[in-house]
Amino acid sequence: MLAGHDRLEAMLAARVDRRAVLRGGAALGLGLPGLVAVLEACQGSGGGGSGRPLTPTFYQWIVDEHPAVQQVNKTFGGQHSLQAKIAPVSGFGIQRFVAEAKDKNSTWDIYVGMTPFVEMGQLVDAGVIEPWDNYIPRSVLDDLIPSIRDESTFKGKVYDWPFLLDITLLAWNAEIVQKAGLDTETAPKTWDDLVANARKVQQSGAAPFGVTFDAHGWRSLCPITYSISTDVYDDQGLFNFTSDAAVEALQIMRRLKEVGNPDVLNPGTADGGVNGTPDEGAFTARQVAYYVKYENAPIRMAAKWPDPTRLRMGALPSVPGGAGATVFWDTGAAVFTYGKNKSTVADYMKALTYDVGVWQQSIGAGTDQVGQLPPYQSLWNQWRANPPGWLPRWAFFVYDQLKVSKAIRPGKWGLQQFVIGQPYWQTYLTGEVSDPKKAMQDAMSAVQAEVKKG
Amino acid sequence: MLTLRRDAAWRHPFSSWVLILPTLIFFVGWQLYPIVRVLGLSFTDFRYLTDRPLHFVGLRNYFEALGDPVLRTGLLRAAVFTAIFLPGVIFLPMLAAVLVDRVRNGPVAAAYRLILLIPAVIPGPLVFLLFKWLYDSHIGPIDYLLVQKLHVFTVFNEPQWLGDPRLTLPSLVLMEWWWGLGYHTMFFLAGLASIPKDLYEAARVDGAGEWRMFWNVTFPRLRPILLILVVLRFGTAMAVIQEFLIFGGFNRSLPTYTWTVYMWDTAFQLGDWSQGYAAAIGWIGTACMLVVVLLLFWFFRSRD
Repeated sequence: MLAGHDRLEAMLAARVDRRAVLRGGAALGLGLPGLVAVLEACQGSGGGGSGRPLTPTFYQWIVDEHPAVQQVNKTFGGQHSLQAKIAPVSGFGIQRFVAEAKDKNSTWDIYVGMTPFVEMGQLVDAGVIEPWDNYIPRSVLDDLIPSIRDESTFKGKVYDWPFLLDITLLAWNAEIVQKAGLDTETAPKTWDDLVANARKVQQSGAAPFGVTFDAHGWRSLCPITYSISTDVYDDQGLFNFTSDAAVEALQIMRRLKEVGNPDVLNPGTADGGVNGTPDEGAFTARQVAYYVKYENAPIRMAAKWPDPTRLRMGALPSVPGGAGATVFWDTGAAVFTYGKNKSTVADYMKALTYDVGVWQQSIGAGTDQVGQLPPYQSLWNQWRANPPGWLPRWAFFVYDQLKVSKAIRPGKWGLQQFVIGQPYWQTYLTGEVSDPKKAMQDAMSAVQAEVKKG
Repeated sequence: MLTLRRDAAWRHPFSSWVLILPTLIFFVGWQLYPIVRVLGLSFTDFRYLTDRPLHFVGLRNYFEALGDPVLRTGLLRAAVFTAIFLPGVIFLPMLAAVLVDRVRNGPVAAAYRLILLIPAVIPGPLVFLLFKWLYDSHIGPIDYLLVQKLHVFTVFNEPQWLGDPRLTLPSLVLMEWWWGLGYHTMFFLAGLASIPKDLYEAARVDGAGEWRMFWNVTFPRLRPILLILVVLRFGTAMAVIQEFLIFGGFNRSLPTYTWTVYMWDTAFQLGDWSQGYAAAIGWIGTACMLVVVLLLFWFFRSRD
């Protein structure tokens, strides 16, 4: 960091471009933030550069839920110059990164927190991030689970260094399931089995509701569709709402809703309705037996039960002859186009993502686990050959399903297509529309109308 | 002599500009520039995420936006919210002010004022969290009371205060009324304090009852306060975004997806972030509001 006096000198010595002066000068009228803008500009364009420590930026939740990351940073920082920061973004906001890239500048070198289907397309097209291809070792690329490597690739290049893997699965409360006289250790194989079990839970009085799910399309409609078929994208790379698999998935969702909590379609309480959804409340309050969502949610909710060990998780159900797949996504890292320290970015990511301490804390039984899984085949192979005591049983059920599973195709509309389409396909779930094909056609038309706007 | 000289110096035209400069910089930089910039953007095809050069497209964004069903629905939803919100946010505080104004015991009157003001000093996010909890169907006390204690509903048909499109806006309006009650009451109390007491005495001498005094003495004298509050609250109600984003997110089927949320969504979330189009949406919404504000000024014009 430059001292205030040095900053002033740098400014007087014109080590700042005209745009920065104009922008900062205008902002000066606004008081202190304006002054800070000028000083930051002086530092960014004049004082920055190779002298800056490697500066990764993390989402707050990553550091909170994976305290072992701090240890990795400490160890790596002992050998290299490192300055880890918290990303100035909330939810899925990338405004700050884009704004800096437009000025051909970046405060950070690596963004740890990118979810490919959510934001990778936008970050690539805006020139904010560059491919990892020039930095990532071949051995790491080959070690990635193939479906995850596929997820990280956009327009033929690898833009995402995968890190924390989330996968949609089926969780259940063994206490409720046992009360209903059902098998507590085996996941229902088909959606029909699940609905039958859920109905039995209700009829037995074990819990008021049989099953719950998160109504957001990428967390329910898409995974259920993948359990039937993964071949559900059109020529533009958009999710084909009108495909047979997607329509069948919607019908399955309606059957789930009939034995679920009535507020299942309500928006969530956090992050613009995306998080803190009603399914979480129902599962936490032990009002429901089965739960379709990515593994992190049931683990967090079950932690509030009197006996969290009653949580069970397994692969997502399917239909007879179905693909048996599910949806996964990773929270990975991107390298900023205008970041610095390119020579050490790969070393850092390798140290971070291969650290066994991180994974033990993430999925290890008896820890404050969050359940996010590693993306590397070598780690899974080691654990398969010699299972560590801390590895929970569900990990392999989920890993096995990864082989046939896929991520949501990345692109500018990867996430938004489900947000735009939801009000339309939801009409079938609420009973306003009786024909699922019509509801899905309406969803598709709404998405295409937005895509046309650009 | 010295005073005169100093006055003369301050009367120099340049010195007045020096005095006005900070305000001018603030006004131009903070108010005027963003307005002009957004107006300019609305005539372009500016998309934030692309490097494509910006083109002047005339009124194309406006024509497209006017034909956009999402915008029309969004404006209608904001108007419905405003129509439910406005009467309560004006008349409930007025009633509270009239009642509190009649309390003659000093400490008691101060206590009433203080209690009324408590919600107004609670930060927005805390209020939103509080009502999220109140309205929650699994852990919220309202549904708990209705289902578990009063047995008016069951867990299968309990009210979904925020998820049922018929209840969402009234639920939010209720929160807004509670939050703004004390703040708006203070406006009316200030207005009531400015009414000469002899007007009431004269009215009493003429045989006027309480109700008549309210309509013929109090209400007309509160008209300026009413104008201010109606215009201010109309503007904020039509342009609400924080509450809608927090309570409804981006679910377009909910009544919380109004034109402001759509504008934000278009500018910062969807596709290439079509900010030219989003600016046109903003200006259409603003124009609609300005028309109503002008009508309000006409309605509340001085009739003295």
